[in-house]
Amino acid sequence: MTGEMIAFFLLALTAITGGVLLINLTNVVHMVVALIFTFIAIAGIYITLSAEFVAVVQVLIYSGAITIIMLFGIMLTRHQEKEKRAPRLKIILTGLAIGLFFLIMYGKIKDLNFGQQDVELHVDNTKKIGIELYSHYVIPFELTSVLLLVALIGSIILAKRDDDEKEAKK
Amino acid sequence: MSSVPLTAYLMLALILFCIGLFGALTKRNAVIVLISIELMLNAVNINLVAFAKYSINPGLTGQIFSLFTITVAAAEAAVGLAILIALYRNRQTVNVDEMDTMKR
Amino acid sequence: MLQMSWLIPLFPLLSFILLLLFRKSKSESTAWIGVLLTGISLVMSVGVFLAVWQGEGIKTEGTWFQIGERAITMGFEVNPLNALMLVIVSLVSFLVHLYSKGYMHGDERFPVFFAYLGLFSFAMLGLVVSPNLLQLYMFWELVGLGSFLLIGFYYFKPEAKAAAKKAFVMTRIGDVGLFIGMVLLFWQVGSFEYDEIFASVKNGDISSGMLTLTALCIFVGAVGKSGQLPLHTWLPDAMEGPTPVSALIHAATMVAAGVYLVAAMYPLFQASEAALTVVAVVGGLTAIFAASIGLMQKDIKRVLAYSTVSQLGYMMLALGASGYVAGIFHLTTHAFFKALLFLAAGSVIHAVHTQNIEEMGGLWKKLRITGPLFLIGALAISGVPLLSGFFSKDEILASTYADGKYGLFWLAVIAAFMTAFYMFRLFFLVFTGEARGNEKGVHESPSVMTFPMIVLGVLAVVAGYLNTTWFGTFLSDYLAQGPVELPHGDHHGPAWIPLVATLAAALGIGLAYLIYQKGTLSRDWITRSFPSLAEVIYNKWYIDEGYDQTVVKGTRGLSKLGVLFDRYVVDGLVTAVTNGVQGLSKIGSRLQNGQVQSYGTAAIFGIVILLLIVALTGGYFS
Repeated sequence: MTGEMIAFFLLALTAITGGVLLINLTNVVHMVVALIFTFIAIAGIYITLSAEFVAVVQVLIYSGAITIIMLFGIMLTRHQEKEKRAPRLKIILTGLAIGLFFLIMYGKIKDLNFGQQDVELHVDNTKKIGIELYSHYVIPFELTSVLLLVALIGSIILAKRDDDEKEAKK
Repeated sequence: MSSVPLTAYLMLALILFCIGLFGALTKRNAVIVLISIELMLNAVNINLVAFAKYSINPGLTGQIFSLFTITVAAAEAAVGLAILIALYRNRQTVNVDEMDTMKR
Repeated sequence: MLQMSWLIPLFPLLSFILLLLFRKSKSESTAWIGVLLTGISLVMSVGVFLAVWQGEGIKTEGTWFQIGERAITMGFEVNPLNALMLVIVSLVSFLVHLYSKGYMHGDERFPVFFAYLGLFSFAMLGLVVSPNLLQLYMFWELVGLGSFLLIGFYYFKPEAKAAAKKAFVMTRIGDVGLFIGMVLLFWQVGSFEYDEIFASVKNGDISSGMLTLTALCIFVGAVGKSGQLPLHTWLPDAMEGPTPVSALIHAATMVAAGVYLVAAMYPLFQASEAALTVVAVVGGLTAIFAASIGLMQKDIKRVLAYSTVSQLGYMMLALGASGYVAGIFHLTTHAFFKALLFLAAGSVIHAVHTQNIEEMGGLWKKLRITGPLFLIGALAISGVPLLSGFFSKDEILASTYADGKYGLFWLAVIAAFMTAFYMFRLFFLVFTGEARGNEKGVHESPSVMTFPMIVLGVLAVVAGYLNTTWFGTFLSDYLAQGPVELPHGDHHGPAWIPLVATLAAALGIGLAYLIYQKGTLSRDWITRSFPSLAEVIYNKWYIDEGYDQTVVKGTRGLSKLGVLFDRYVVDGLVTAVTNGVQGLSKIGSRLQNGQVQSYGTAAIFGIVILLLIVALTGGYFS
């Protein structure tokens, strides 16, 4: 039992617990908070996979930005404190389908092994990613910036109160 | 040195994906549905990063790809929330099962 | 002349169409359209008859349509048999048209009546000139339609309505037989043509069993139309129609169509001894059976109706006993004297407005023309010497005797006795003695009605001289020209046969005289002696009741079963199907609830199924 193993199990346990709590909790805010654990655990998983930069980005964007956005979303929309359960039939049917999906995928991935190769991914990880991004992946990178800009403007326009329309209605 | 096998990461990703999917399909609050979708994207990211390390041809590509995914997910979350707020302003609810205008 | 003979049926058709156009007309001069057009038909028929008498004949056909290699033809044919029928039909039709002008006076649907008469005449004449069975069958059904319309002419009377329906249904039973026979013949011969059928019968192309079967099927058609036992019950009920109709359709022409059919198909029957025997037996039994019912009836038209049935039985007996000429001869003479009797009866009804003979009496002095004419008809039908009925009946008896059917011969003699008796019972009750009903204002019918009767009266007297042993056998010589090979031989059997016939007639008349005129014998003498027999006869041997109990009740039971089957099995199935479909569609519509999550679930199911297929067949991943 190596340290890596222990770290993985602890992180995986945290992530899955967060997920299960997301499903089982009734308070919406609690759900989001439970999910923060999952996101942070996933960041840890990234570190065990020698991806420090991705892990940092994960903590920044998911645990930080997205969760906060979601919490704002919950607070901006008036909601019932208690999340109502979906109809039992629907849960059973969805659960059945997903269970089957899980079983099939499990059967396929359980013996998957490509062997292990020694690659120094953790050495100068951030630097290497930076070089790659600005050389090989420069066009997708720029496109991403355009996408983010569009998302920014789009969100503002969508969320903006349509004063003109309201006045027109009056 | 025995390290964590690829299958373990894939299993973790699969479990998280299934949880996310279940949440997305059964939760009634639209915000939770959005967050569940984020969880599914995260599961996919785990796969990408895992394959970046343990695969026939390991490299940085998987990690960079996951970066892009995170970016898109962030954009999606922002736009999704904007839509949600616009919707809430019109219909005074965020309950998914009350949004059935597709039927008409 | 012969080339034009196809026009003969068309004039009545024209009359039918014209009169339908004028059907709203109140004017009774519309009748002249029908009279005139049938008159033209009559003149042409006589011309055609004279031409055929000279030994001519014609047959013209065109292909109607083709089935495989078999051509179905339409056309017309004139041979001695149907030339004679043409004259009889058009003559009686003409006279009845004329008579109806007076009889139907004041009826609301006056032009419609003449239109129907025209339709019937067209159908009957068309039937006669048909050169093949298919065409004959079409006209055969049209004739039935004409009969139906005319019986039900007083459709507001429930009895008339019921009678029309009964006639239609009963004759339909026979028609089905004819149709089966026709189809069998087509199957065997490959043609509906008389000539080809006769040719293959002659060549022995058809097995004897099949011959008998087809002949019997066709005979069933004749039984239905001609009111033979056991399908006779519609004919007396058909008397609900106007009296001229009874004279035209149910005495002279349509009911003779059955006899005509057997005569036209005679080579077929000749080829099968069994079929001939059946024809003879049915005819003989019908003759005596109907005559016995006629003895007791109280309605003047019903007596005549049973008399018609009985005389038709005679004709069938003659045909069945190889007396082809005798049958046709009796058909001719019967057409004249029975039409005369019906028209005279119509004249009586017209005068006293009742049909019950118990309410008549002593009309001889008041109806100076109708009375003697009725007497002539009664004498003729009874077979009194020197009148037409004597010769034709004598011929029938002789051929029956010569054919060796002695039992049927004696039956026929007894039937002749009964005929004489009931005819004169009718005569004495109606025309002699005291008036028993309200007979004020009784007057003779107008001349438009008496003229046709006089013509028929003359014919009833002289028609017999067409074929006599004394003056010459014109009719047999004439019919011998036809396509039918006559089973000739000396049919003028022993000299005592006419004597027996005359004796039977005289006995019948004498007995009637003693009972109903002199009163020497009490009127209810028979009734008292054999009360149960009289009861049975008065109720027409309970045939109608028998049909009611068996066929009608059986059919009702079957229909009830059918209703139950329909209600519980068929409807149950239908309800099950509709419920199933409704349930399915409810599930389907519940799936379409407009919620993305449900659609997502469905999509997941789809993906899972695809994955399952891939995993089980070991597709992509393995």
